[in-house]
Amino acid sequence: MNLVTPRGFRDRLPAEASERESLSASIGAVFESWGYGLVESPVVEVYAMLEAAAGDLEGTAFRLFDADGRLLALRPDMTLPLARVAASRLRSTPGPHRLRYDAEVFREHESLRGQARQFTQLGVELVGAGGPAADAEIVALMVESLVAAGLPEFTVALGTVAVLHALVDAAGAEPSWKAAVLKAAHDRNLVALDALMAEPQVPAEVGQALSEVMRIKGGREAIERCRAVAASCGCASVLDELEITWDLLDASETSGRVVVDFGVLRDFDYYTGIILEAYAPSLGLPLGGGGRYDGLMTAFGAATPATGFAIGLERLQVALVEQSASAPVRGLDALVGGDPAERFGCAKRLRDAGWHVRMTSADGLELVREAERAGAAEALVARAGALVRLDRDGGPALPLEEPTPAPPTLSWAKGGPR
Amino acid sequence: MTPGRRLRVAVPKGVLFPDSVRLLAEAGLDTTGLAEPGRQLTVETRDAVFVIAKPTDVPVYVAYGGVDCAIGGKDVLVEAGLDVVELVDLRFGACRFVVAEPEDAGREVDEHYRHLGVVRVATKYPNIAEAHFESRGIQVELVKLHGNIELAPLIGLADQIVDITATGRTLRENHLRIVEDVLESTARFVGNPVSVRTDPRVTALADRLSELPLS
Repeated sequence: MNLVTPRGFRDRLPAEASERESLSASIGAVFESWGYGLVESPVVEVYAMLEAAAGDLEGTAFRLFDADGRLLALRPDMTLPLARVAASRLRSTPGPHRLRYDAEVFREHESLRGQARQFTQLGVELVGAGGPAADAEIVALMVESLVAAGLPEFTVALGTVAVLHALVDAAGAEPSWKAAVLKAAHDRNLVALDALMAEPQVPAEVGQALSEVMRIKGGREAIERCRAVAASCGCASVLDELEITWDLLDASETSGRVVVDFGVLRDFDYYTGIILEAYAPSLGLPLGGGGRYDGLMTAFGAATPATGFAIGLERLQVALVEQSASAPVRGLDALVGGDPAERFGCAKRLRDAGWHVRMTSADGLELVREAERAGAAEALVARAGALVRLDRDGGPALPLEEPTPAPPTLSWAKGGPR
Repeated sequence: MTPGRRLRVAVPKGVLFPDSVRLLAEAGLDTTGLAEPGRQLTVETRDAVFVIAKPTDVPVYVAYGGVDCAIGGKDVLVEAGLDVVELVDLRFGACRFVVAEPEDAGREVDEHYRHLGVVRVATKYPNIAEAHFESRGIQVELVKLHGNIELAPLIGLADQIVDITATGRTLRENHLRIVEDVLESTARFVGNPVSVRTDPRVTALADRLSELPLS
């Protein structure tokens, strides 16, 4: 019997898991402070439902049959389940709905690609609100949550699929050409895109505009540049809205972290408006992303605007480690030894005072060593109803002050040593 | 966002190597020592860290952010199917994917297909081959080999092969003839999706490469 986990799934031990818990809490608190309520959904969904909304999920969704022979899938993201919740149980409740989640999602990956098949997403969905105010709320919230996670360096790229769609429509070419353009854009294949734009059936100014637009990025001025190139192709209103969105980001003091980038595209093809993606330097994969997905709600029979984003907890952790900014985790305040009858009582008094305490049957030097290994701030022994500190050699030293002082690690938790 | 780190560029070993080095130099990068790396796996210059890569590993290095950008054959990119941004067609290293079979096969393969309902195909590129036959609605059994694909029909391992060819010479020398084209390939300049979005040096290099007078 090999005690292994399936490929792409793994266990997390306390050091790692408590950092994750701390990050989840910081980001969840930001979501909560913007009025987003926590939602939990089943790990499995009916596959046909996912497919109806997101298109082909073969090779992406983790599929299984239940005992009734029904095809199920582990949720590949949280946007689909939450859109389902919004389109069903929340349908008759007046919106907009502000929902947040902290959940494991599952995706298939071919073997030997070094990819996890389970990961954790922290995210929000704003259902029932459209326009620049909703867009800006989502972008600002993403920036604020990454700041709250303690990530020193990151940028959020803000783009829109609406410009691409407007230009493709303006070209007036046949549907197969449109499909090829969208596919090339999703595959991030600029070579194929340029070739498609150069085809004789495409009006030269449209082709030129699209090739240029995909490469425009910058601050607010990038929207102007896009307007100069593409406004004649029917996307002026999209750009007006994007400008308002930018100004709202300015007002919320988050625009400093945002870059407008008309080349950003995301894998899932249900996005209909803005697209956002967060990057950390030297992390070759995005930290997270999202966008507007009004079409998805329509597919669920509840035509209503919706936006959202998710942050990948594992990638965020990697970025934090690379920027030497691991999540602060509160450690142990004390190890308490001594006769069980003594130590149970004394340890309770410490815990009541807010201490994190581990009890041990070790004594003397052995206790001091154990405390060092556990990273505990104090090595204490309970004797005659009182707590005595041990010195380095395991001998009794000064007694612990009365009344019980504040836990030593509390101040550390604010970014000090672990 | 370019924290004092040098640009990391993967360059494929083998047939694409000399032209890749030449183009990178023409695009203005300091490539001192890159042309003759000896046994070095990386070459550091004023402008960049060049990573000398096995061609099939190029897409992996790029997709996972091991390098910011790279030159790689379209063939390898398609086969890997990883998330990289294809920025410039460099138009050298042209070759094509073809389906080939023994010259004397005649109608043998057709007969085979009619009676057995399946054609056995040997290839180094199972994903490309599978996609091709699927789009044609032909049922095949694929055998993945790691080299000398031309041998497979000669030793009776396969009816047909899917392989790349530049001039068709190797195929002719092994008495194989081309049945149909699968896809054409040239060298591409590709970037990591995040590097393309965040590192202006990658897009600048792409612009300079696309402005070169390419053959």
